[in-house]
This record gives sequence, C-alpha cells and structure tokens, in this order.
Amino acid sequence: MRQQYAVRSLILIAGLALVALAVIVQMLRIQNSEQAQLFIAQGDRYAGEFNMIYPERGEIYDRSGHLLAGNRTVYEVGVSLNKVKDPEAMAYALSTHLGLTYEEVYNKLTDSPDGWEYVVIQDYVGVDTVTSLQQLVQQLEDAEDPRLRGLAFKPHFQRSYPESTLASNVLGFVTRDGRGYFGIEEKYNDLLAGNPVQIWVPRDPNKAIEIPKVPNGTNLVLTLNRDLQAKVESILDQALINYGAENGTIVVMNPRNGEILAMATTPRLNLNNYSDYFLLYDNGSQYNSAIGTSYEPGSIFKVLTMAAALDTGTVSPDTSFMDTGSIQVGGITIQNWNRDSWGQQNMIGCLQHSLNVCLAWISTQMGPQNFYGYMERFGMGHPTGIDLAGEAMGRLKVPGDSDWYSVDLGTNAFGQGVAVTPLQMLMAVSAVANDGRMVTPHVLYAMLRDGHQYNVPSQYAGSPISAETAGTLNEMLSISLQEESSQALLPGYRVAGKTGTAQIPTEYGYDAFHTNASFIGWGPVDDPQFMVYVWFQKPSTSIWSSETAAPVFAQVAEQTVILLNIPPDIVRSQFGSR
Amino acid sequence: MQATQIIHAYKQAPWRVQRQWIGAFLLLLIGAAMVAALYLDVTARAAVSGREIQELRFQITAIRRTNADLETQLANLTSTAEMQRRALELGYRPVKPGELDYVPVAGFVVPEPDILLAAEDTVPHIQSLPFEYTQSLLEWFSDRAKFGGSR
Repeated sequence: MRQQYAVRSLILIAGLALVALAVIVQMLRIQNSEQAQLFIAQGDRYAGEFNMIYPERGEIYDRSGHLLAGNRTVYEVGVSLNKVKDPEAMAYALSTHLGLTYEEVYNKLTDSPDGWEYVVIQDYVGVDTVTSLQQLVQQLEDAEDPRLRGLAFKPHFQRSYPESTLASNVLGFVTRDGRGYFGIEEKYNDLLAGNPVQIWVPRDPNKAIEIPKVPNGTNLVLTLNRDLQAKVESILDQALINYGAENGTIVVMNPRNGEILAMATTPRLNLNNYSDYFLLYDNGSQYNSAIGTSYEPGSIFKVLTMAAALDTGTVSPDTSFMDTGSIQVGGITIQNWNRDSWGQQNMIGCLQHSLNVCLAWISTQMGPQNFYGYMERFGMGHPTGIDLAGEAMGRLKVPGDSDWYSVDLGTNAFGQGVAVTPLQMLMAVSAVANDGRMVTPHVLYAMLRDGHQYNVPSQYAGSPISAETAGTLNEMLSISLQEESSQALLPGYRVAGKTGTAQIPTEYGYDAFHTNASFIGWGPVDDPQFMVYVWFQKPSTSIWSSETAAPVFAQVAEQTVILLNIPPDIVRSQFGSR
Repeated sequence: MQATQIIHAYKQAPWRVQRQWIGAFLLLLIGAAMVAALYLDVTARAAVSGREIQELRFQITAIRRTNADLETQLANLTSTAEMQRRALELGYRPVKPGELDYVPVAGFVVPEPDILLAAEDTVPHIQSLPFEYTQSLLEWFSDRAKFGGSR
C-alpha cells in the first residue's frame, strides 16, 4: 500500500516538475525572444522621460549695473487631451482668455492626431492671463466641476528688455527659438545662452536622480553709459527733426581705451516687439549703421591725410600752400567745396577751410605708396574688430585694384571715393587723440560668471603715427575750430574736430542735391576723455555739416561732460595745480 | 538501561522533531520579515526623500523665475524713460554746465564700475546626492561591511 502511494507521489512530483520546467523554459524563451527587446524598450520608454534643462539666458547690464536685457516668465498653455471632460467649455474659456477663436481652440482639442496626449494651445502667454485662468480653474475645481480639467501651464523664460528701444542697435534681440540676432545678443550668443543639459528623469520615486548643476548663461556688462545713451538718442531724434535728415548716427567713445559709451542710430527697434524688424529695416546693415553701413565720409577723412603727411614730414603746420581753387590729379580737375580759391594758406588754414585742393596736393606730395600705406595702418578697408555682430569693412581702393585710378589719390585725400563706417573713423582718429596709439573699439566691459567679474582689457590696434604728430594735429584741429568759430565749440572746454560734408555716389554719378553730413571731435584737448562721431544722412535744412553735425556735436559733448563728471578746463587746471 | 531508553525515546519523539522544524521555519520567517521590513523602511524613506528633492527642485526653479521676474520688473520701474518722467513730475529739470560746481577732494579717484552683486550665482551647488539617497540596500550592506560606519 505504502509503495503504491510512493509511486503515485513520484509521478505527481515528476508531473509538477515538468510543468514547472515548462514554465521556466517558456519564460526564458519569452525573455530572449525578438519581441522581448521591443517590450523592454517600451517599458524603458515609459519608465521616465528626458528633460532638457535650459539655463537662464545671461543678463546684460550697462556699466553702472542697470539692466538692459533680462528675462521674464511666460507660460505655455496646453491641454492633456485624455483628461478633457468638456471640450466646448474648455474651448470657450481658452478662446476668451487667450484671444483665440472658439473654432481654433475647439479644433485643436477634438481634431488632434491619434495618439496625441497633449496639445499646445498657445505659448508665450503672460503672467496676468495665466493667473486669471488658474483662478478660474481653481474655482471650478473647488466646486468639483471638471469642465477645465486637463488644462496645463508650463512656465519658461522669455527675453525682456526693460528699456525697450534704448541701445537696441547695440543689444540686438533674441527670437523665440532662443537665438540672438544682431549686436551683443548675436556676438555673445553662446556665452549668454549657456549650455543646456538633457537629463533622464525616472518615474520611479525610488530612483532619486542626481540634479545636475546647470549654470546660468554668462551675464555681460557693457561699456555703455545708460544715461548718456538715452541723452544721445534723444539729441539724435531731435536733430533728425530739426535738420530733416533721413537717418542719423552718433557714437561716443573713450579715445583712451576704446570703450563705447553711447552708440545711437536710427531707426531703433522696440526689442520687446522684434517682429517689427521687417517694418523698419530693408536689410541687416541698417540695423546698426554705426558699424554696418559704410559711406563716403568726406572732409573728416582729411584728419587722416594730414596725420599721414605730418608723420612722414611731407608738411608741417607752417607749410604754406597757394590755393588757386583747383588742382589736376590723374588728368581730372579737383576743386574746393565752394569752387573758390583761398589764396595763401598754412596747413591749419587748409583744415580750417576744409580745402580739397590743398589736401589733394598733400596726398600727391606724399605719393600713393605713403598715402595708402598710412591708410592701411589706420585700418581703412578692414573691420575694426568691435565685439558686435554685423560689422562692415568699408572699402579702400588701392593702386593695383581694377577700379583704382590716379585721380583717386587726390579724391581719397578728402574722403571721396573711399567708404568707411563711423566706427572705422573713430578708431583711426583715436590715434590723433591718444598720443598716436589707435584703440580697438569695444562694448563689452566685463563678464560675470560663478560669482566672479572678469574685466575685458582694452586693446590697441597699433600706432600709425607718432605721439608728436598726434599732439601737433590735435593742436591744429583745435585751433582751426576756434578760428572758424565753429558751432562745435563747447564753452569752458577746448575741443578738436573736423567737419565733413560729402556728396553721395549713385549709379549715375554724385547726387547733386543730397549730402552726408559728419563731424568727428574730441575733448578736452589736453586730456581727451570723449570722442564723438555725428553722421546725418541727407539733411534737408542745410547740406553742410558745419550747420548740422557740428552743433549736434556740441550738444552731445555738453551732455557728455556733465554725465561723465568732466570739469571745465579752468577747473581741471586749478585741480592740477593743487 | 531503562532510563537511557526513555531519554532516547524522548529525543526521538515525533512531536519534538516537528517542533524543531517549526522553530527553524519560524526563525527563517522572522528573519526574512525583518529584512523585508528593513528594506521597505529604507526604500520608503528613499522614495519620500526623492519626492522631497524633486519638490525642492521645483521650488528652486520657481524662486529663480520669481527672482528674474522681480529683477525685470525693477528694471522696468527704474528705466530711463520712467525715471525721467518721475523726475519731471517731482519738479526736477536737466542740469546745465554752468550750474555745476566741482569740488576737489584730495585722494579721490573715480571708482571703476563694479557690479559684482549682479553676478551672484543663483544656482545651488549640488555636486552630488548623499549616498543614502542613491544606494540600494545591498550596496549599503556591502559598503558597511567594507568601510564599517566611517562613511
């Protein structure tokens, strides 16, 4: 009997063991099948999600710490489709608050492709709108009303410019895809944007993931003085009205170190509404004409010609020149601006009366090799290297170029037939104000990162002329302004500078009715602390820069000495003597 | 001889053998229950801590957003246009050069711009989570076995 039970038990055990073995074999087979990899992958996919952590874009400040570009919170308003109970009510509420049509929202809620769990209704929604929507949702939830269930608000940053149009040409803007365009935003986009980090966030709460450190983008401090920038923009806007000019540019730079203190151009864009860009500009070069637009500068170029001539010893301040009203260069007759002859002149007189004939004579005396050699050293035809996106390089034709003719040696001497940007002129003439050393213009003062401030050192772009030449020309240009009782003079301060009225080249020769009016000046002459460039395009009340750009220089200089705390010459000399 | 037989019979008593088995089984069961309870306790605490960390992270992000918003709002309120408007409302007007008095101050040097306070790092330096938040129970046991209680 016992043996019978034993046999049965053994059979039962064997049967169960076989079943167990079959189960194990089947498990192994399933786990190692082709489909298993698919299931494992699906499982992994739902085990968590990839989150991209975008750092906050770095802020931009002026040199005194005023915020010029910051960030503000906006929301993506979306709906989890599987939670929606009442699409009609949801569409009505959202269309009312978001300014969309009912049909638009309703279609998104009901006609989304199969498999979609979430749909974005609108992005970049402001805090106020979202707050009112959130309150409505809360009210309904409190009343256990599910009509707005599934509504989601995802916050993120949007670039914000508290000063709207101020220095828009310098700052540039950031589009919704987070990319900077123009100016600082484009030039330093990588620094400002920082490095996004992608992390895998498991849904399993047991798997507490390590939070990676995502540093914010680098904050930048500019050399701009916000108050001076505002003043200069105000002066420029008023001047355009007063003189009926199409557009204008005013730049204030420290000639000692190249720091741009103010850079105003027209038109300016409200950076919080950058979509207006296409309404204001035909092409990118117009965005910041101080660096992006080159033009024939006219007589302000005589500063460089005279600097080269003095430096080579071709002339001295006392060199006399008999002005007969015309000169032949390369078979072409060059005349003075008023077509008159000015008789016996020294070099100060040539600058004071802005005599084309005299300067053309000087360049021919120097010879093309010397003249163009100096112009190259002054950086003509090359970008200045300013840290702003979109810089033009101008054009300096030199002997050997297919479009260079002998007459160009004469016309280039007084700034015709050569194209420069305002910034190129500032950089070149900085050598005259800065003891022969030419500065590299820049707008970045410092970078702020990880609690440290890294100041950007000033750079020099060579010494095209000697300190003696610079000093001599400084005096000559100051005297010439004083003797012509220029409207550029600033009471209490000795300033130096030069006017430039240039005809505008067209496809059919020079425009007979319009000019570019420019002025470059600096002060105080004994210790230059500011250099101002003024350029008006096609002023209509007067074509002459002496009547348009020069008085605006005086206005800008007046505000500059106030805002930079530069005492009048007499006060400074008293300070110095103590 | 009889006493030896009685002792032997007692040792071989079926109920005593069964009790030994039951005792051993219960010992194993209690041990397993203790390990399970410990594991549950640790994992539950890890889960709670994980959730707390996530919550803190959300709070940090929200605070950073609030800071950025407030900074931008402050900049709006102190923008050039706004400050000029308020100054004019208060009866101020732009100064003219002749109205300025300059006073020499011995040893005074115009300070260079220094706006480092804006550079304060708002991102917390979370280099790594404590081991307690990332280790499994087995890893913790193994760690303890290797390093004792020093870590």
